[in-house]
Amino acid sequence: MRPLSIAGLAALALLFALPYWIIPLIADAGFWQHVFVTIFVYAAMATAWNIVGGFAGQLSLGHTIFYGIGAYAAVLLNQHFGIIPWFGMLAGAAVSAAAGVLVSWPCLRLRGPFYTLSTIAFLEVVRLLAIHFKDFTGGSAGIPVPMFATTATGMEQRIGWAWMLFRERENTVLIAFGLLVLCIAVATLIRRSRFGYALLAVREREDAAEAVGVNTTRVKLAAVAVSAALTSLVGSFHGIYLNFIEPETMFSLATAIQLAMFALIGGLGTVAGPVAGTLLVVPIAEAARGWLGATANGLHGLVYGLVLVGIVLTMPQGIVGALKPRFALWAGPAHRPPPAAPARDEARARPPIGEPILEARNLTRRFGGLVATNDVSLTLREGEVLGIIGPNGAGKTTLFNLLSGFLPPNEGSVRVRDASGQWVTPDAPHGFADAGVGRTFQIVQPFAGLSVRENIMLGAFHHARSRAEAEAEAERVAALCGLGHLLDLEARSLTVGGAKRLEVARALAMRPRILLLDEVMAGLNPSDVALAVELVRTIRDSGVSIIAIEHVMAAIMAISDRIVVINSGRMIAEGSPEAIAKDRTVIEAYLGEEYVAASA
Amino acid sequence: MEVLPQLIVNGLLLGGAFALISIGLTLVFGIVRVVNFAHGELFMAGLFGAWLLSSKVGLTPYLAAVPLVVILFAAGAAMQRFIIQPLMDADPHIQIFATVGVGTALINLALILFGADIRTSELPWAREPVRFAGLSVARGFLVAFAVSMVATAALVLFLKRTHLGRAIRAVAQNRNAAPLMGIDVPRIYIITFGIGSACVGLAAAVLSPLFPAFPTVGTYFALTAFVIVVLGGMGSLEGAVAGALIIGLVDSLAGYYVAPDLKEVVYFLIFLLILVLKPAGLFGVRGSE
Amino acid sequence: MSLLRLENVSAGYGAVEVLSDVTIDVAPGEVVTIVGANGAGKTTILRTIAGLVRPRSGRKLIDGRDVSALKPPAIVDLGITLVPEGRQLFPFMSVRENLMLGAYKPAARAAIPERMEEVLALFPRVRERLDQYAGSLSGGEQQMVAIARGMMANPRLLMFDEPSLGLAPMIVKQVFEIVDRVVAAGTTVLIVEQNIYHTLSIATRGYVLENGRIVMQDTGPALLRDPHVRRAYLGV
Repeated sequence: MRPLSIAGLAALALLFALPYWIIPLIADAGFWQHVFVTIFVYAAMATAWNIVGGFAGQLSLGHTIFYGIGAYAAVLLNQHFGIIPWFGMLAGAAVSAAAGVLVSWPCLRLRGPFYTLSTIAFLEVVRLLAIHFKDFTGGSAGIPVPMFATTATGMEQRIGWAWMLFRERENTVLIAFGLLVLCIAVATLIRRSRFGYALLAVREREDAAEAVGVNTTRVKLAAVAVSAALTSLVGSFHGIYLNFIEPETMFSLATAIQLAMFALIGGLGTVAGPVAGTLLVVPIAEAARGWLGATANGLHGLVYGLVLVGIVLTMPQGIVGALKPRFALWAGPAHRPPPAAPARDEARARPPIGEPILEARNLTRRFGGLVATNDVSLTLREGEVLGIIGPNGAGKTTLFNLLSGFLPPNEGSVRVRDASGQWVTPDAPHGFADAGVGRTFQIVQPFAGLSVRENIMLGAFHHARSRAEAEAEAERVAALCGLGHLLDLEARSLTVGGAKRLEVARALAMRPRILLLDEVMAGLNPSDVALAVELVRTIRDSGVSIIAIEHVMAAIMAISDRIVVINSGRMIAEGSPEAIAKDRTVIEAYLGEEYVAASA
Repeated sequence: MEVLPQLIVNGLLLGGAFALISIGLTLVFGIVRVVNFAHGELFMAGLFGAWLLSSKVGLTPYLAAVPLVVILFAAGAAMQRFIIQPLMDADPHIQIFATVGVGTALINLALILFGADIRTSELPWAREPVRFAGLSVARGFLVAFAVSMVATAALVLFLKRTHLGRAIRAVAQNRNAAPLMGIDVPRIYIITFGIGSACVGLAAAVLSPLFPAFPTVGTYFALTAFVIVVLGGMGSLEGAVAGALIIGLVDSLAGYYVAPDLKEVVYFLIFLLILVLKPAGLFGVRGSE
Repeated sequence: MSLLRLENVSAGYGAVEVLSDVTIDVAPGEVVTIVGANGAGKTTILRTIAGLVRPRSGRKLIDGRDVSALKPPAIVDLGITLVPEGRQLFPFMSVRENLMLGAYKPAARAAIPERMEEVLALFPRVRERLDQYAGSLSGGEQQMVAIARGMMANPRLLMFDEPSLGLAPMIVKQVFEIVDRVVAAGTTVLIVEQNIYHTLSIATRGYVLENGRIVMQDTGPALLRDPHVRRAYLGV
């Protein structure tokens, strides 16, 4: 186990021991236990929120929908049907997960503030409905948690473990802490799993996530479902704990904002962040209130707001995010040194060029009045390297986007032969990835906030089932692409050459059968170009079919079996590299008619 | 008295009141590309300002518009300069958090200063009804409607006809090309945020005789303004006015025909439908802001 | 004295250095061109001059004054205007408004009507489109508006970044005619263009840029005859 994890567990143990054993020895246990229950509840919910808001980067300010659903499910089932809250809790979690998916499904394609606004709107709708249907919910008057109920046998006292209602506070500390541990455990598991990496990919760059085969919609919905269920569990407990629930406090926008705030202050997307944020801010606010007295109503909120603004201006990565590099130093290197680059097996012969593996027919794509791709048809054969050249602005990248599902064509179609030999026409980028198409982006799209290792792992997760497997694959591919010594570097700090190699490495780690390379050599110096040419040949010899857009003529001539020339969206020439180099229309497209006329 | 015409008039007048707040929001979004989650709290601050000026200084609420417009312009400009500007290149989430933080701080500051009580700027004249053609409307709403329309028209003219206004639109349409024209883009952002906030200052002054001030009053107005702005197309002034009138009507009609406490549900549902089906809004052209 | 001089300038984005030790001079009345392969750093030179990228080392001089730290609006005020790559018009404004924005700097505002007449005399096609949205024009027309907008401030140095980019061959010809007219009107020009034949044949001087370094400079026609240029540009 890593030193950081041990430190985290020790901190958690202390957090529990304080209210449960230590404070009762020296102070008024009741008050402090209440404070700690509050901290645990908020920390648990902030942790749950963080799965959506931090890992997946979908900023929800409506998360109290699930908190409220949990509370109402537990209390209403108790009140109307005499069902113990433990079952109500599970029912609430199920309803919340379903509601989360239902609510998010149409909204997740909204970006940035629009998603946030939609979550607020949903929260308002739910709150208003809860007030309106008062026969069911008790309306804005709220409902108390029943302590007694009349049954056939007379009055029944609904207190004790079954009913989650206690005279002694210790038990509530225990449950609240248990919920916190549950949320942290789930968050930790997710963060370290394939699913967690997919969420980070979605957060960092949705297009690149699709390119490595992540079904971005599905992973976002899954994150929402898990997060909603956890929030709901906490809500059930807290509703019972508060003895009284009403729409204004259960479906509160201010509380929803606080959850997000705690996570941000601690560090979005880190496991420890939400807990750290809650631990920091709640006591400061409570202390400020205690210090200035209860007359200062609103003081804690003022503290929250000011701390939030201060944090975003000074350390937007949050407390944990800002401190982590130092802790990591103190805790020693987290990873083994990467293995030496594997010896290349020189002996392997190039496989012969085989049957067609990708076909584009009559592709046309317009943007407003501009026809970026105009009736282009091409075929890639198995084991072949097809070069695409053309002047700037000729429409090459648009063609790539059509070939990898990032843009739907206005006319024409693309089909790919998948691993089983079937011809398929996927309808989303991740579908193309599943069919065996890997791609790079001309404007490099690294997952900027992740390490080089994690970037490549995201490619590897396309086939790898475990983190260890993905890590091993990342190290192998990194060595192949000359990134072996940069594995722990943050991707955003790579040079152009490094970022281009990372693009290739990430696509390669997917083990694609077809690889689309978009100007991976542009901006490289000559020795790097030579290395890149060598790399492309190695990939080709391993049996991958390649389409490469390239501006570096020497390179494209060296690697291509066949070249297609695009100008103004049209295919103007196709042939062997030698034939293309002599083609008059091609030289004209590049240098202008006058040049051709003058040198003729 | 006919119910329907009265409901329609009420709705349109209410829409006029919303319009001014929405214009400020849409302007800031369209130009600076930041959704100001503290917009409603600036309005709340304006209402308290109007109340202070009328009850402590003795200024008629309508006259309070002059200082309020100036103060809120300065507050908005300062917010852009010192909080948003340093975050312009940050993740949009960080910008949202920053404005949410400002909003939270303002609500609670008001709670500390004024308590949770309701404070009304006294101007009985504004609440007296005017009757015509069998309809009855409060004078204050007529004033608010007129001010709203005039202010919008003035703002549109300013944006279309002046060098500064053109520069503001230029920044919205192509923020890479604007500096090449010699436009100081950060300065434009500061001015725009100031104008957007000044709009709520003006709105607060004209609405203060009709709506009481309390710390969380901004949330209601801001949410309504978000609905309106999304409906009309984020960044479109004309869209914001049209959206405000529509939401005013929905508010009035749904309040009567559905249920008074469900009228917001109706327009939030409209909001969600628009977001999902036509995110550019009813009147917006994608990217036209 | 040079109107503009970059002196041993290095510049880049983030961790990446795009320009290394670049020295360039533009004297009044000259037509200077920079030739080089894609990614060599030509656009970055223009962006550095315009103030959009700050030099990391070296100096940028205008009329002998060090202006390395000035922001884009200040550079515009000094009479240097960039017609950017990809035209970059304000799409939902009329052509007229686009032209007016070209003369946004306070010194140019007063003379907008006269200046617009002068510029439109060079661009009769633009005159016909004055009240249309800029975004509704064809690519070639947009490029003309972009050039006309650049001239509105009556610049002493007009910089073109790839004016023929993405245009059909016929339109490219027309754009070059416009560039010729701008040159004939006596404006000092610094131009980056992938279609090198035309620019080199009108250039008084040209620089060859490779991997962010200036590797050659000569008169335009001399560079045009040089086999190295073809290699540098096409990479073949």
